[in-house]
Amino acid sequence: MRIGDLYNPTEEHAALREMVADFTRREVEPQAATFDEKGHLNVELFGQLGELGLLGVTIPEHDGGAGMDAVAACIVHEELSKSDPGFALAYLAHSMLFVNNLYYAASPEQRARWLPKTISGEWIGGMGMTEPGAGTDVLGMATTAVRDGDHYVLNGTKTYITNAVEGFIFLAYAKVDGKITAFVVDRDCPGFSTSGKIDKIGMRASSMAELIFEDCRVPAKNLLGDEGGGLVHMMRNLEIERLTLAAMSVGIARRCVEIMVRHGQERQAFGQPINRFGQIQRYIGEGYAATEAAASLVYNVAREVGPDVQNRVGSDAAKLFAGPVGKQVADYAMQVMGGSGYCREYPVERLWRDAKLIEIGGGTLEAHQKNLCKDLAKLYPMS
Amino acid sequence: MKIGVCVKVAPDTDTRIKISGDGAGIEESGIKWIVSPYDSFGIEEAVQTQEAQGGEVILFSAGPKDWQTQLRAGGLAVGAERAVIVDDPALAGTDPLGIARVLAAGIASEGCELVFTGKQAIDDDNVQVPAMVAELLGWPHVSFVTDFSTDGSTFTATRNVGGGTQEVVTGSLPVVITAERGLNTPRYAKLPAIMKAKRKKVDVKSLGDLDLSADDITPAVQLTNFSLPPERPAGRKLEGDVDTMVQELVRLLREEAKVI
Ligand SMILES: Cc1cc2nc3c(=O)[nH]c(=O)nc-3n(C[C@H](O)[C@H](O)[C@H](O)COP(=O)(O)OP(=O)(O)OC[C@H]3O[C@@H](n4cnc5c(N)ncnc54)[C@H](O)[C@@H]3O)c2cc1C
Repeated sequence: MRIGDLYNPTEEHAALREMVADFTRREVEPQAATFDEKGHLNVELFGQLGELGLLGVTIPEHDGGAGMDAVAACIVHEELSKSDPGFALAYLAHSMLFVNNLYYAASPEQRARWLPKTISGEWIGGMGMTEPGAGTDVLGMATTAVRDGDHYVLNGTKTYITNAVEGFIFLAYAKVDGKITAFVVDRDCPGFSTSGKIDKIGMRASSMAELIFEDCRVPAKNLLGDEGGGLVHMMRNLEIERLTLAAMSVGIARRCVEIMVRHGQERQAFGQPINRFGQIQRYIGEGYAATEAAASLVYNVAREVGPDVQNRVGSDAAKLFAGPVGKQVADYAMQVMGGSGYCREYPVERLWRDAKLIEIGGGTLEAHQKNLCKDLAKLYPMS
Repeated sequence: MKIGVCVKVAPDTDTRIKISGDGAGIEESGIKWIVSPYDSFGIEEAVQTQEAQGGEVILFSAGPKDWQTQLRAGGLAVGAERAVIVDDPALAGTDPLGIARVLAAGIASEGCELVFTGKQAIDDDNVQVPAMVAELLGWPHVSFVTDFSTDGSTFTATRNVGGGTQEVVTGSLPVVITAERGLNTPRYAKLPAIMKAKRKKVDVKSLGDLDLSADDITPAVQLTNFSLPPERPAGRKLEGDVDTMVQELVRLLREEAKVI
């Protein structure tokens, strides 16, 4: 680690990476396989993230956060994902999709009401955008909100919502008169419930479920911004969401490179270490190159993403490129390990299962391609 | 109470050490520098003592001012209040006694009443500086401590003396305590504390600031030549049936290893 390089631009970034890496080695790695098997969040460990001050990484210091930037958020996601991408996903849903999103959409009174307990980790949070009938096509969402006195009445269902099982509080999008609007809904709102856990192939250390609104009464003071302002909040927050997901892919890939480089030296076949074979060298060489290319792109874009700096093209490109790298390099590592790579005894098969999500969640690869084409066409209009 | 901690910055434990071209030192490029781990136990104990008794924890280092990076991350971000680094060209060639003179002068100038440090630094493993600091200050010292408590005027320190026996030392402050593994578990630096550490004060002083001169730290010991331990030869696998292998093993132990 060199202070001042792309990955650790300041002493504080380096100290943050060191701390999260140390915490990950000592506390996260030993429980990762267990919670993958159990298929739910390690709530106790999540509480430790609160104690370490990581849940408010991007929130300014005067509002109780750490006052750090998108690079710092990428550092935390990358380091946690080296051992437990599923746990990192729960961290992302809480600290990026809920806390960061809320902060920039909320009034000072609302910040004071919700931030302390979500930055400390007393309440786990999540965000509900996707619906059974509308994923990529977010504008097609069907959940509605109707004003009724000093309440809004919400009806609809959100699905695939990370932290819906353990969470207390959610940022949810619903349409008021056809316009997307952001609300904060918690378990005390009458008419709000969550479904049973939706089982999944990977990212099993975080759990997901549906958010169900049945004539759900949400206090009007829980409206974030203005009616119809939800789309702007959503789009603004998507940038850091995509970057941190991409950083998770980098973490997975970097761990897998380490695993295959070591295994390539240790494992003998035909009387020599397998890293003497050209085909194995190709996995290691190309895996490393792809990983470093992804890391460079992600951290380079992260320098130019913040509350006042928009970089949609950059964050779409970073996730489009880095997303498949985690999966690809996990696949290379499994191939280098042979049968052992496929077995539960080693972490590679878990990382391989986890890695696929990054090609789907927070925007599918196809969604990034679509967005990029649209945004690039604005950059280079027809002459 | 002002509590001092002497801290050295050393290469990370898994560093592969390379000898420098002239053989009189190590290749420093590419090394990851950390607070020497035993000193981290000292910092933690100082912070716990400060939390119980009040006061202030001050870090003392004799070394390059660049060490402030590690002092911030490994000390100021886990509860120490400020740091004093004595950086002077004359320090480059000095020996443990010279370092001890500098640290003792720093501690005396701040009026500390209790000093913690690691039992040794993990780079050159001299185990000399803490006792010398205590001697120069005219204080007692207790080494290799695994349990410590103080009420602000007296202290109790437990040390392992081998064979499972523990020695309990009591006395009154001031005292120098050197930390053994097991004294405590150093806390993680919390992120908000990492951010606050950047605003904490690090005083960089010269020898002159402490009324010392280069002559005061003229080394009695000089390091002139370094060499790496010989490479461990590859293991050997004995073949054949059990009787043959046992005979061969005994022969090797007697004739080659000469241990029986
Ligand atoms: C583990 C996990 C956690 C999640 N957590 C959350 C969460 O916390 N909050 C939340 O709101 N959501 C969450 N999601 C939902 C996720 O964001 C959506 O799954 C994702 O946006 C894709 O939507 P969809 O599943 O409806 O797929 P669809 O939109 O139905 O897409 C199906 C396929 O069609 C393609 N497609 C769709 N539209 C187009 C188009 N215009 N052009 C080309 N191809 C297209 C897609 O790329 C994809 O290949 C999570 C999902 C998973 C799996």
